[in-house]
Amino acid sequence: MYDAPTPGSKVDQTDIKITAKKVQVYYGDTHAIKDVDVDIVDRAVTAFIGPSGCGKSTFLRCLNRMNDTIDVCRVEGEIKIDGEDIYDRRIDPVQLRAKVGMVFQKPNPFPKSIYDNVAYGPKIHGMVRNKAELDELVETALRGAALWDEVKDRLQSPGTGLSGGQQQRLCIARAVATQPEVLLMDEPCSALDPIATAQVEDLIETLKEQFSVVIVTHSMQQAARISQKTAFFHLGNLVEYDDTNTIFTNPSDSRTESYITGRIG
Amino acid sequence: MTYATHEGAKRHGSLLTVDAKTKTRNAAETRFRIYGIIAILAGLSFLVILAFSIIRSGLPAFSANMVEVELTLTPEQYADAEAQLFKTRAYEQVFNAAFTSELQERGLDTEFDAESIQRIIGNTGATLRSFYRANEDMLGQPVTFNLPTASRVDGYFKGRLLRENVTDSRFLTLADLDLADELKEAGLIQSKFNWTFITGKDSSVDNPGGAGIGASVVGSFAMMLVVLFLSLPIGVAASIYLEEFAPKNRWTDLIEVNISNLAAVPSIVFGILGLAAFIQFAHLPQSAPLVGGLVLTLMTLPTIIISTRASLKSVPPSIRDAALGVGASKMQAVFHHVLPLAMPGILTGTIIGLAQALGETAPLLLIGMVGFVAREYPGGLASAFMDPNSAMPAQIYTWAARSDDAFYEKAWGGIIILMVFLLAMNILAIILRRRFERRW
Amino acid sequence: MPVFWLVLILLALGVGGYVFGRSRAMASAGGDSRKLHSLPNYYGSNVAIKALVPSFLVLFIWLIAQPMFISSQIAGQLPDDIVPEGGSIGLIMAEVRRTAEGIDAIVAAGGMTEEMASSGRADITDFTARLQEAGQVVTGTVTQPILRAAQSYRSMTATGSLAMTVVVLLMTAAGLVYGLRETFPEFRARNVVEASVKMLLIAAASLAILTTIGIVLSLVFNTVEFFRIYPASDFFGSLTWSPSFQGNSQLGIWPLLWGTLYISVIALLVAVPIGLFAAIYLSEYAPKSVRATAKPLLEILAGIPTIVYGLFALLTVGPMLVKVFGDGGLGWMQSGTAVMTAGLVMGVMLIPFVSSLSDDIINAVPQAMRDGSFGLGATKSETIRQVVLPAALPGIVGAILLAASRAIGETMIVVLGAGAAARLSLNPFEAMTTVTAKIVSQLTGDSDFASPEALVAFALGMTLFIITLGLNVFALYIVRKYREQYE
Repeated sequence: MYDAPTPGSKVDQTDIKITAKKVQVYYGDTHAIKDVDVDIVDRAVTAFIGPSGCGKSTFLRCLNRMNDTIDVCRVEGEIKIDGEDIYDRRIDPVQLRAKVGMVFQKPNPFPKSIYDNVAYGPKIHGMVRNKAELDELVETALRGAALWDEVKDRLQSPGTGLSGGQQQRLCIARAVATQPEVLLMDEPCSALDPIATAQVEDLIETLKEQFSVVIVTHSMQQAARISQKTAFFHLGNLVEYDDTNTIFTNPSDSRTESYITGRIG
Repeated sequence: MTYATHEGAKRHGSLLTVDAKTKTRNAAETRFRIYGIIAILAGLSFLVILAFSIIRSGLPAFSANMVEVELTLTPEQYADAEAQLFKTRAYEQVFNAAFTSELQERGLDTEFDAESIQRIIGNTGATLRSFYRANEDMLGQPVTFNLPTASRVDGYFKGRLLRENVTDSRFLTLADLDLADELKEAGLIQSKFNWTFITGKDSSVDNPGGAGIGASVVGSFAMMLVVLFLSLPIGVAASIYLEEFAPKNRWTDLIEVNISNLAAVPSIVFGILGLAAFIQFAHLPQSAPLVGGLVLTLMTLPTIIISTRASLKSVPPSIRDAALGVGASKMQAVFHHVLPLAMPGILTGTIIGLAQALGETAPLLLIGMVGFVAREYPGGLASAFMDPNSAMPAQIYTWAARSDDAFYEKAWGGIIILMVFLLAMNILAIILRRRFERRW
Repeated sequence: MPVFWLVLILLALGVGGYVFGRSRAMASAGGDSRKLHSLPNYYGSNVAIKALVPSFLVLFIWLIAQPMFISSQIAGQLPDDIVPEGGSIGLIMAEVRRTAEGIDAIVAAGGMTEEMASSGRADITDFTARLQEAGQVVTGTVTQPILRAAQSYRSMTATGSLAMTVVVLLMTAAGLVYGLRETFPEFRARNVVEASVKMLLIAAASLAILTTIGIVLSLVFNTVEFFRIYPASDFFGSLTWSPSFQGNSQLGIWPLLWGTLYISVIALLVAVPIGLFAAIYLSEYAPKSVRATAKPLLEILAGIPTIVYGLFALLTVGPMLVKVFGDGGLGWMQSGTAVMTAGLVMGVMLIPFVSSLSDDIINAVPQAMRDGSFGLGATKSETIRQVVLPAALPGIVGAILLAASRAIGETMIVVLGAGAAARLSLNPFEAMTTVTAKIVSQLTGDSDFASPEALVAFALGMTLFIITLGLNVFALYIVRKYREQYE
């Protein structure tokens, strides 16, 4: 079990964006997440790895209260973003999700034009005053998602007509357009081919300069390539959380080592 | 990428304070949800209003205000009456005599007016005569007669007819109502369960009190038998073919399109089909429940086929594989394994299809099964299918189309009976589903 | 009923064939059923099928063809001058048939001997008197040619029925013999029986096509007949609908179409918002327990027969509206039967129709769409209005079109609730009438079946059928395309 940040890690306390303490998640009678404590660093990529069904996605969805949409799901413990408990009764999940954006496993563009897909978030949050500002914001977001050059001539064509990799980058642009502070990504490359995966990984690399990125991945190589911190989940427990380098070269838990060397999972 | 205005990744204010924009959005959210609740409540309140009007307006049809008189007719009186020129007049006098003595027995001292009594109770002579002509062995013995009051008087007691709307006429005078009130108080007029309504036949336009739904219930029942015995086997056969054997080709595509379209063709078009094909072309008898059953069969088949196919589809392929694996032919696999497993679902669908057919009116009107045809009970099994008859909904329509509110009461009462049948069928379907439904 | 007895005899022969075929199969295998190719039951069934299927087929065709053949023969025998001016041969034939049936009934009741009935020297006045006396309603008096025709009709029918019985029985016997000769152990009885069963299944499935053909034929023939005696240009061009029994009817379809559309629009204005919002609430907001009770309760509205709604319109809603909008209130409404009355009640009837179809369609929108929107911080209503509904739009349009087709084809509510006057008016509190209501009134009235006043109902039916069919085909196409998109 993971306890408190290891001495000697380079994490500076002021850089902590999200702190989770003793988080428990129940699906009906199933205890899906057990006692997870974790600190997520600002403007860095944190990867959650572990065998399927280990709870990494469930925990990710706690961070912007997406689990609220599931009736039987119950969350206990404390998750703070910038020192504010997001499960506080005064918190409006709508406002929270504007601050903590999310990208899903399968690209899920809305059945609208590319432009409208990206403009959706800014419109509902009332972030712009006029069409010119919106145009600017859409362009910025699409550029930020490295998609602008590919779609700038067909902004009005449907988003569902793009290729898988383009769709996923469109979804990232859509999330970025609301100007969140944290970006949660739930296996964003699992439905993509290797070339599209590489493009999205490059994008994540640049995104971390602006956002705290938390990514769930089933690929250890991906975690090693793009993340600075890695958390290993197993059977609902957070087994180990450390610098990515440390996890992959010198894991302190035997289960982490077994997983990394391919003996479990 | 530039988000120049903020330091670091701090682009949002505190989450603990809800900003104005979010407040308006949440208000819109609440409004939207309330629209939904209003829609549900509107739908449910229509249901309640409907149920309430049916029950309130229909229940009076099940009771009738009757006059109970006991009298004895001697064989001599009978022979005497039958010998006269105006025979019913003679019976009337017998009745009046008996009624007068009944009044005196009860110590009711009323100005007795024979005409007034006739207006209140209706044609007593005819009732007595037809009874004794049919039951000559009752002569000389005391017989208790329950005579229904005239429909206007009955309506007066049920609140359908108000005193202020009554103008003296040859049908009813205000003085009659005074007398009726006294008779009611003395217990001579009593409200009783109206068996005539349940067991009776349609009556003429001027006799709402004698109208009953019994004959048309028999007509409906005969039609339902025809529908059941045709649509169940044909529907199951068609579904088995389409679900289990049909190759994917133009012919089966055409059948599929046809079935889904027929399910949405207006019922009156099936009435036109019945009129043109069965009556004009095939010369089947008009107004016969057999023809009605045929029309309703064609109409319900698509519904039954659609639900039967759904039940067949819900039987997992592994069952078929298992049967084929032990060397059964495809036909054997379907008839020995798939069909029995799908049977509860098929029966449920069939019952619901039958319930739909039972309530259908428009096509029946076109093939002549209007209410006033239901004047007699069928004499036998064949005549139940071949002789002119009506059906419950068509009978209700005929009553509703007569402009006498005493018939409106019958129409509502008829609806209660129709709904009881429908409810029973639906409950049966639900029980079947609960009891035998299998989840794979 | 000779046909009834014939059918019973055939069935008995079939059962006999089954039993005999089965035992013969067993005997041919020396009592050891393992030596047979198929189970013994299949050999029995094979014999029964060979005996019954061809003979029932012939019986069925004969029953349809014989009256047609006899009618055409008799029609040829009738003198040319028998058809009065403005009448048709069909009416004369109907009278011939009625007379023949009347004679049958009298003979059956013992009122006349068979020789008397078929005697060529039969006295006309005597016959008419006897027919009327026996309660066999014959219009007017029976004329000599009609009586002769009726007599030859009877004799031809009798000969035909006899021939039919003989032919059918012979075919059954031949089938029995053929089936029994096939009964030997190597014969693949199961395959033959299964192939026949499959043919039966195909026939049952094809009944749907036969029904459609029947509908189209019965509409087309009578519509053509109608347009022969009433110009199509008047039917589609005239703005007046005023049938009269003395002839000279004005039968323009537009007032009826207008009433139909007006009532349907009001019905949809009631049903679509309520139904759609109910569906949205039930599928997106309602807790499980509310959904489990409210949904079936709403669906009760769909199971209530239309006659109940008709009565509800006539006796409850109509008077209620008159109280508010009638002379005592706003003074817009003359009587309880009006476009508004029928429209409102029809709207109530359509609520569950719209809501359950929309519910299915909204549920078909993938959860990923909603997640995507929630993930961006949209509220539920924003997600529904801007993501779910646009995604579900084609399906919902399809559902509304299906509801519209229901409204246009609905009969009992408008017959009882909308009034009988055909007029082109904009006031929704006036009585108007519809295509369906007029089909009922033109075909249930006393008008002669061959008159334009009755035949117009078929032209109306044709119009109704084409409109609703068009709507249905289009709506089902949209809905199917929509489903495929998310499968």
